[in-house]
Amino acid sequence: MTQFTSAAVPAPLLGRWNYRSWAAAAAYIALYVLCDWLSYVQPVLKLGITPWNPQAGLTLIFLLTVGPQWLGCTALASFLAELLVRNASPTSLLVLAASVWIALGYGGLAALLRHWHLDHHHPIRTTAAAAKFAGACVGVTIVIAAGYVVLFVASGVLPPEHALRALPKLLIGDLTGVLTLTPLLVSTRPWGAAPSVWRQHHWQLLGQLAVLILSVWLIFGLPVTLQLRFFYLAFVPVIWISLRWGLPGGLLATLILQVGLIIAVQDETPSPLIDLQFLMLTLSLTALLLGAAVTERAGVLQRVAMREAEQRALLTMSPDGVLAIDAHGRVRMANPAALELFGAGGGLAAATSLREWLPDLTLQEPVGRATLQGRRTDGRNFTADIAWARLDPPANAGFMVTVRDATERLRLQGEARERDAGVARAMRFAVAGELASALAHELNQPITALVSYLRASDILAAPFSRENERLKTTLGKAAHEAMRASEVLRRLRDFYRTGTLKREPVHLPTVCGSVAVAFQDRLRRANASLVTHMGGPLPMPQADAMQLEIVLHNLLANALDAVCHSTKARRRIELHVGGDAEEVFLRIEDCGPGVAPDLAGKLFEPFVTNKPDGMGLGLAISRSFIRASGGELTFEPSGRLGGACFVVRIPTRGPAES
Amino acid sequence: MSAPTVFVVDDDAAVRDALSLLISLKGLRVSTFSCGEDFLAVYEPRWRGCLLTDLQMPGISGLELQRQLAERGITLPVIVLTAHGDVATARAALKSGAVDFLEKPVDDDVLIDVLENAIRVDEERYRAQALELHVSQRLERLTARERDVLLLLSEGLQHREIAARLAISPRTVEVYKARMMEKLQCRTLAEVVRIGAEARLRPAQ
Repeated sequence: MTQFTSAAVPAPLLGRWNYRSWAAAAAYIALYVLCDWLSYVQPVLKLGITPWNPQAGLTLIFLLTVGPQWLGCTALASFLAELLVRNASPTSLLVLAASVWIALGYGGLAALLRHWHLDHHHPIRTTAAAAKFAGACVGVTIVIAAGYVVLFVASGVLPPEHALRALPKLLIGDLTGVLTLTPLLVSTRPWGAAPSVWRQHHWQLLGQLAVLILSVWLIFGLPVTLQLRFFYLAFVPVIWISLRWGLPGGLLATLILQVGLIIAVQDETPSPLIDLQFLMLTLSLTALLLGAAVTERAGVLQRVAMREAEQRALLTMSPDGVLAIDAHGRVRMANPAALELFGAGGGLAAATSLREWLPDLTLQEPVGRATLQGRRTDGRNFTADIAWARLDPPANAGFMVTVRDATERLRLQGEARERDAGVARAMRFAVAGELASALAHELNQPITALVSYLRASDILAAPFSRENERLKTTLGKAAHEAMRASEVLRRLRDFYRTGTLKREPVHLPTVCGSVAVAFQDRLRRANASLVTHMGGPLPMPQADAMQLEIVLHNLLANALDAVCHSTKARRRIELHVGGDAEEVFLRIEDCGPGVAPDLAGKLFEPFVTNKPDGMGLGLAISRSFIRASGGELTFEPSGRLGGACFVVRIPTRGPAES
Repeated sequence: MSAPTVFVVDDDAAVRDALSLLISLKGLRVSTFSCGEDFLAVYEPRWRGCLLTDLQMPGISGLELQRQLAERGITLPVIVLTAHGDVATARAALKSGAVDFLEKPVDDDVLIDVLENAIRVDEERYRAQALELHVSQRLERLTARERDVLLLLSEGLQHREIAARLAISPRTVEVYKARMMEKLQCRTLAEVVRIGAEARLRPAQ
């Protein structure tokens, strides 16, 4: 156990401090010393000041890629450089302290940049990122340089009156090195494209290199007194290259230029040194910010091009017509679907006004929808569903309008409305019939009694009617009138009788489907769900489809009313349809409060209802319809949902004929 | 045997009262019940007449009442009277043995006709049952020879043929025939033939 633990502990360390990091560290230290030696021009005030410090950039690259925790290597590299390049004493505590201070400073900068996601995983692509990077570098290098100078002043090597003069020189050299090298090398990503760029544009690249070299020669080829007077010439190639290739190109050009400058000033040092330093810093900053701007612009252009391509594809594919309208109401763009809708097969004519195509459309609301007449170029009209939106402020030039041909939608709506009207008409007829039938039945009882009493009176009055003929005829007339009243009722009932029963094979899924569709809106408003189960292959019963639809309609309406009175969270209605060779059944169950036991026995009698505004005819009609098809409609409490359950059974062979 | 009566079953008191008044004034005996259950509870087999029932009633319906009567072997003729006349129910009623189907309100002449007819049907049915009982009693009184003569006579054989078949003299056949006809109280040969046909259906014990 202890063995295992001791073996396990170093593992993350080994993983983090792997051999590649060590190799990188060794290469870094060697390069650092080399760069220091190469760029060291002259000792200024014993501070090891050089016109620019590539090793500062190198340090930041190293710490950004392998991690700020490697700052020990930086201290070592700095110390070695002091020893080897400037022959410092190995025992000098000052040099050691200065090295440690530099290492701490760059470690901090690396940590800060990593925190801001400005490391090798995130190449600088925007001016904002470039400015942030430059700002961080400026701030931290000021701190590093200030600390460095303080160390030297405190140890008495540097007279305090020289401190302020030494500071900018030290600072600017480091800063130039960091700004030029770090963004250039920290990200390898843009360099992936370098070989193909070289293959395609090598003449251009060679020309740009030549101009760079020429500008260095122009700056330093002159006598030393005139040197730096033409330094601004160096901006020309750097700006050119930055504009052409963006950030990587601009920084590479600056690097080449600065290497050339170092080589040029090895022999004769221009004076004053700070002029050269400032110029180089300005050059680096220019390349960094300009290059970032160009790179950013290229990225933006690419994204815009991509989005445009996507939008163009979308517009071409869209089944809806899409129009772009300018501020003057002219059609600026129309997609193929729109051209087809308006019959402009030849393409969009210049200065086509929206008024020509959609005369009734007034674009006043920022967003809207309308259904109105569209006019084709051949003069024919069609009904169009229109939606529009005003374009946002930067593009405040008009509207986008979509157009859809509404003919099909209106036709389907009309059909659905006609169907609904048909069902409603049949329902009204059925209600009247049921009413007449119930009325006839209820009134026939007293009329029967009345007629019988009158006939009995006739017999009882026989002895008197011999003397009074009028009594006999009056009683006869009374009985006759009573019979006539009954006859009126009979005719009324016969008129509404379901004699017009149409018997045909009924496709149950179609009937259920169309009723379910008719209920969609009401179900949604009531927040209830209707679940339909169709079991197996269904036989087609012989029945009247319209009547069956009315029955289903009644039963579903009852179920919906019931679930609306339920306190249950889930308002659920289930419709089970099934059957065998003998009969089919439709079972409508709900989760409502169910039917009161005293009501259950006479549920199907006319005028029995628990609804305040109900006639109590729905179930009576439904039962007579189903019975007319030889079937039966029954009620039972729903076991599963807890509400009511109505079952329709219809024999597949229709009512028995005999 | 009791006097023929019209048994009226209807849930409507006014209808019951009016119908019974009318029917009794027309000279028929009436008895009323407010539902089928009541009628079934008190029915006695010796009751003669007919049943006039409503179709739609609370409790058992007219059709159900008819079915239960048939189940109990009660042959009382049933007339269905309904306020809700439609072809399907009329057919159902007639199929299950109703002698007639009337719609409310009903004309008194028609009603009395139908009721008298039903009572006649009931009487005929009763008399047929009684006659049947009578014939079998009379047949039991015949001797074996007399029965043979009866059977052969009813087959249409002549006296001589019967004598040959039974190996007796034609004279003896005549004697048997006279005695047999006297026992059966038959006056004509036609009556003999009819009873003979029935006797053939009922072999002697």
